[in-house]
Amino acid sequence: MFVLQKDQIEKLLLALKESYALYGPTLHEVSGQVLFDEIADIKSLNINAAIPYNPPKYTVFPQFERILSYQYNKSTKEAKIAMDNLQKPKALVGIRPCDLTGILCLDRFFMGQEFVDEVFVEHRKKMFIVANTCVTPFPQCFCVCTDSGPSAQEGYDVNLTDIGDVYLFETGSPKGEEMAKKLGLAKASAEQEGMKKKVVDESISKFEPVAKENKAWISRVMNRITTGFIPNEVWEYIGNQCLECGACSFVCPTCSCFNIEDVNTLDGKTNRLRTWDSCSFEGYTKMAGEHNPRKPVEDRRNKRFFCKLSYSQSKKYLRPGCVGCGRCARVCPGDIGLPNVVTYIRREITRQV
Amino acid sequence: MSDKSAFKILTVPEVAVVDEIKDEIDEVKTFYLSFENKEIEKKFKIKSGQFIMCTIFGAGEFAVSLPPSPENDRFHISVRQVGKVTGALHQLKPGDKVGIRGPFGNGFPFEEIKGKNVIYVAGGIGLIPLRSSIVHVLQHRNEFGRIILLYGSRSSKDLMYRYNIDEWLKIDGFETYVTIDREEPGWSGEVGFVHNLIGKAKVPTENTVAFVCGPPVMFNAVIKELLSQGLSEDDIISTLERHMKCGIGKCQHCAIGRTLVCTDGPVYTYRQIKTLGEQI
Repeated sequence: MFVLQKDQIEKLLLALKESYALYGPTLHEVSGQVLFDEIADIKSLNINAAIPYNPPKYTVFPQFERILSYQYNKSTKEAKIAMDNLQKPKALVGIRPCDLTGILCLDRFFMGQEFVDEVFVEHRKKMFIVANTCVTPFPQCFCVCTDSGPSAQEGYDVNLTDIGDVYLFETGSPKGEEMAKKLGLAKASAEQEGMKKKVVDESISKFEPVAKENKAWISRVMNRITTGFIPNEVWEYIGNQCLECGACSFVCPTCSCFNIEDVNTLDGKTNRLRTWDSCSFEGYTKMAGEHNPRKPVEDRRNKRFFCKLSYSQSKKYLRPGCVGCGRCARVCPGDIGLPNVVTYIRREITRQV
Repeated sequence: MSDKSAFKILTVPEVAVVDEIKDEIDEVKTFYLSFENKEIEKKFKIKSGQFIMCTIFGAGEFAVSLPPSPENDRFHISVRQVGKVTGALHQLKPGDKVGIRGPFGNGFPFEEIKGKNVIYVAGGIGLIPLRSSIVHVLQHRNEFGRIILLYGSRSSKDLMYRYNIDEWLKIDGFETYVTIDREEPGWSGEVGFVHNLIGKAKVPTENTVAFVCGPPVMFNAVIKELLSQGLSEDDIISTLERHMKCGIGKCQHCAIGRTLVCTDGPVYTYRQIKTLGEQI
């Protein structure tokens, strides 16, 4: 472990800027929201800002992305297809452990299954990640229940922890080691290293009691969802509150369903776009000829929670699909963010016992 | 079941030429295709029951099952015009080009069912995906027991691959029964729904597998009849369809229960279908 002086943050950002496009939390002036956004001016990065409204998922899996383009000449019958989505290397600075866990889930899903997603690899292969230990949880946060915070365990090149007057600078990869060398950082003292546990414990103590005291409930609910012992009325109740807006999927760090659309441009080219999609949309499973195997909203709704909390999906992520960031609870107009769904299922379990 | 080392076109489609177009029944055409790149043509090997993603330039991409046998059969797809992309496909002329990704999916069992009786039950254009397995099994006729095809469609005009059926009816030992829903002038064959043929054909139940494909109403009636004859749920095999986008298990549009039709399917046993907990 090394020590990074607080005024050295800028040096770290400048060093990263030499080879990466910077992304990090920044205060959006118009809306007053903290966004995880591209940082043009390093002064606008605010590493101590609140949890960003949007997760950094889009840096590896953009909301709209051209995955290839083609041109077909109808008279010569010549087809030219190009995979032209080459990406600039990105550095994610100040990413929270929950969001980092989300990216690791996406890694395992897109690159660790039977097929490797070539588009995702292009984003992910050249990336530098600076994680930041979360010292200020928010009311919706429950990463302590999903084992994804408040301190990052893996997946970072550098992990920063604010221990008061300085940052602890942990390295998680050779790239991180190099950076420490490049910045000429001093080694942390044993006392400074010991401060990390104190900071993390203090952070955990700040979580809402509902998160702190119910850590086992997530695994209990996972068990129920996996074994299918949840009465249909519970899903109906949840489904009736769903407005099918899809916001939960869009702010979720691990939701990765997408649609593919071929869009023609005026100059005769076609862009194949991959766009975010949500299983809560009615058209999601509709086939040509209007046959739709999933109709009622509760049928679609329970798919999302199945995806977050069932064993079969967790096998793909090597952990639960929920990272406890609480964003779905924050955006859901029907008040059926994941914590509430867990509460409804818990209530059902308690009633049955 | 799917062979991981097999050659697959994953992301960027390979260009293929439409060599020939054959009008089949109303709104269904067959397109014979070959790859522009001869290396790809050599490497591209399918299993019966698999599917491809087919790009119609300027319109989009759709998933389509493969009717040709993996051995000595011209590569082709048979497609009903139902939506925007299949509509654009039907506008194509010989010499036009399309893009192909794949082949994807697990495919029908072949080695596993050697030595067994094989029953095919198809309704309407449900014969298209089954054709691949039928032709393949007929190419190895001696390695199987009884081979039976029960095929039904709305009318004689809606019989898919009629030229194949005419040949099949002549093959000794290939028990082919064809039925249409209602009486028709000039039709001397069976009349009625296809599940009624199951009893008529006196299908075997021991050491037997049944492949079923067709619209949901027909599917359910056939399953009921096969089960009541004594076939086990593991020996009834079908292939499912979904609105697929990627073909490689990422977009999740084809999720049914805990499985993905593109990578875990599209071929499932009836026992699996039952436990998925969703409509077919």
